[in-house]
Amino acid sequence: MSRRSTGRLVGRAVLFLAALSAVFPAFWTALNAFKNRVDIVTPTPLFIFTPTLDNFAYVLGRDSVFDGLFNSLVTSGAAVVIGAVLGLPAAYAIARYPNRWSKDIQFFVLSLRFLPPVAIAIPLMVIWLQLELYDTRLSLIITYTLLTLATVVWLSVPAFARVPKEVEEAARVDGYSSYAIFFLIAVPIASRSLIGAVAFAFVLVWNEFLIALMLTTSDAKTLPIVASELTQLGRDVPWGILNASVVLLSIPPLLFIGVLSGMLNSAFKRKSS
Amino acid sequence: MKNKTTLPWVFLTPAMVVLAVLALVPTVCAIVISFEDRELSRPDGNFVGFDNYLALFSDRRFVNAITVSLSWEVITVGFTMLIAVGLGILLFECVSPRTRNILAVLFIVPVILPRVSAAFVWKFAFHPLYGIATYPYKAITGQPLDLLSNPLTALGTVALVDVWQWGLFFSVIVLKLLETLPPQPFEAARLDHARAWEVYAYVALPMLKAPLISLAFVKMIESLRAFDLIYVMTRGGPGISTETLDMYAFSQGFIESGRISYASGMAVLMMIATSIAFTVIWKRAKI
Repeated sequence: MSRRSTGRLVGRAVLFLAALSAVFPAFWTALNAFKNRVDIVTPTPLFIFTPTLDNFAYVLGRDSVFDGLFNSLVTSGAAVVIGAVLGLPAAYAIARYPNRWSKDIQFFVLSLRFLPPVAIAIPLMVIWLQLELYDTRLSLIITYTLLTLATVVWLSVPAFARVPKEVEEAARVDGYSSYAIFFLIAVPIASRSLIGAVAFAFVLVWNEFLIALMLTTSDAKTLPIVASELTQLGRDVPWGILNASVVLLSIPPLLFIGVLSGMLNSAFKRKSS
Repeated sequence: MKNKTTLPWVFLTPAMVVLAVLALVPTVCAIVISFEDRELSRPDGNFVGFDNYLALFSDRRFVNAITVSLSWEVITVGFTMLIAVGLGILLFECVSPRTRNILAVLFIVPVILPRVSAAFVWKFAFHPLYGIATYPYKAITGQPLDLLSNPLTALGTVALVDVWQWGLFFSVIVLKLLETLPPQPFEAARLDHARAWEVYAYVALPMLKAPLISLAFVKMIESLRAFDLIYVMTRGGPGISTETLDMYAFSQGFIESGRISYASGMAVLMMIATSIAFTVIWKRAKI
């Protein structure tokens, strides 16, 4: 056996282990979510056990988890919709009608993505307290709009730039107005990448933790906060319930994995050509 | 475009106004608060000048937080880039394009997981009695292994989770970058009997220097947000051994004393550091 093929074999083994490490923790957590407490708290990890739905039944029946799920869906959903409605047109204007501020606007938008969350959460808490909007879904939606809007604009500019200019020119010759070109030509052609951008914004705010932790105390708590509170429970930790709530929290982002990896592929493919 | 249209203004203005208001109001507010002596229990504060900033620099916990944050940066950025380049090259070199694509999807699973989930999954895996990651140690030595309660290993253990999320994800990006390279230099190097590692060390990686440096910068900024992982896994403990800047700002402002102004001072300093790093990236990316 040559040296090269030995090396390749070792490389494949390393990749296999890396893939295992990527997937196994999630798999193990999902498995634990179906175990009774006695099957989790064992000296040796158990792979074979009698599955139970009690954990999920308990989690979904608990008001705090259910409220957290509802708050997460409402705040992430609303912030993403607002972000898309305002952000997609803005991204199109930046991509198709460049002016002397376009570069600065892009710099500004991208810099928002990198603001330390703790730096905006502290003053916003003071502001929302004074406006008596602290711990409401409304204040969280407005705060999250900052994240979703910046993300949607940032990711959609290249998507619109990739729409062939000739198609839009042809439509113009056919008498389409610039608004009609946006709605009827540009958005449908770029739709796949745009869906990726919006999905990314959703995953971002769904997973968001620090801002939600600082801006909510009871009424507007999102699912990550509720889940993290469960993980801080004292001695008699209900491990099965914990695992079930983590699974519940992780399902929505994982649903978008196909869309997101597709977006990654198209972002790099076009660059090379 | 030739014909005059109102579209750019109509499309841009609302988004920019909303963004500017949502970004500038809190930023200005953070700066103002950091010059006051506001506390959670007292709604109004007095102007105190640079007192908060001066107090910060003689605060040993703040200095500790800077040290922890710096070690966190070095560990997570360094290992993320090592793993990313290593696995990226292996993906490019060792497997067929089909397998490559399947692995690429699997490798982005960790980064898509909510950080709270990732933190919990690993916290439980490292549980000294029931954890699956500590099980082999326990089975061999008969002793429980409590990495998260040991000040020497706690930060490294939390960093492992961060590297798990970002290293695997960045390896996919490195793979995509390698795929964009022209094949000719590789072939030329192989004709000169270069070994596989030499091809990468002397041909491929130098060609990707600029994007790899940008990736490292992105990770540097992303690493400043260690909060979620640390909050769930250790809460800054044991003691203050994993207390990063954002963790300390949070506990000053919310948990312990409610010193909002003091915490705001820290936040402003973090904002300045981030802005400098970000401007550098932007300038680099333009070249």
